[in-house]
Amino acid sequence: MHTALGYVFTIEWAVYVGGALFMELVWRPLQRYVPPGQTGVLCNVMGRRYRWLAIASLVAIAATCVAWQATGGPGRLSVARWLALGAAWVVLASLVTVMGLLVHPRSHARIEPGEDRAELKRRRMRSIRVMDVLLRIELGVALVGALVAAWPHGSGPGASL
Amino acid sequence: MTATWVQVLASYLHLLAVAVYVGGSVAMEFVLGPAQRFVPPAQAQVLAQKSADRFLVLVWSSLALLPVSGMLLFFSLSDQNLVSSGDIFTTGSGRTLLAMMVLWAVLVVNGSVITFVYRPRLAAKASGRGGGARVGEQVEAMQVAARRVSWLTRADLVIALVVVLLGASLAYGNGIL
Repeated sequence: MHTALGYVFTIEWAVYVGGALFMELVWRPLQRYVPPGQTGVLCNVMGRRYRWLAIASLVAIAATCVAWQATGGPGRLSVARWLALGAAWVVLASLVTVMGLLVHPRSHARIEPGEDRAELKRRRMRSIRVMDVLLRIELGVALVGALVAAWPHGSGPGASL
Repeated sequence: MTATWVQVLASYLHLLAVAVYVGGSVAMEFVLGPAQRFVPPAQAQVLAQKSADRFLVLVWSSLALLPVSGMLLFFSLSDQNLVSSGDIFTTGSGRTLLAMMVLWAVLVVNGSVITFVYRPRLAAKASGRGGGARVGEQVEAMQVAARRVSWLTRADLVIALVVVLLGASLAYGNGIL
């Protein structure tokens, strides 16, 4: 039971952190080789798919932590680690929500009545810049969260691999 | 540096290596791969080639980091008696550790086949020499290589998930074999 919980916890952190690193180290440099119009299409499709992956990982991470505590798994988390992991989780969940519901749709916004193309392009570019900053913050928080999760302490979820 | 700091560093590097391998493979397979259908085929081919080139660097980095951080973790946790006393074949944790090492070697072999056998075939440009039949053969060879790379990549992801399961069974118990 606790091996299964630890397995799901580790896999979901790996998917979240690895996905964020993939976006930063593979997808971002790759955009140089794709025409801007197609980059927009790819960002739109990939953003939607990545969002569901991120949400599923965050839900599974929370569920395994709560289940571990509730079932009295060995090496229950200390209060400090609970707070640190909880804070990282809340920040990541907020970032995914803000990016998914606000920033990502704005970066693919259609032209509004009375708006010229230059204004639409400025609006989209602003959203893309905000998205870039938020993605880097997300990666930083995910890496710090992984450090807290990997910290060897007893044998609770994330104690070590 | 105290043993605790070695453990922290080793655990973190081990988790990062797993994250890069598993998370990157999942992103490649379920995020970037399906998105390529939405761009013209020629552009999708360039995208696949460039993304694979970059991702392979990450894959080899994590495959190199896994045994280094794993050994650091192993020795910092004082589990080396497992090997020295020959318990690696007789105990559950020993057999689990051995299975992890064998599967890591399989990942290295598969990675080598993809990097040194199939990637050069995919990167080669079709030459007009030898006429249309020769070009047709080259294109067919590239399609076969692409299918095999895709198959091996999926197999690697499954193997990596099994390795993490074995690792979790060691971290939270005494192994599952």
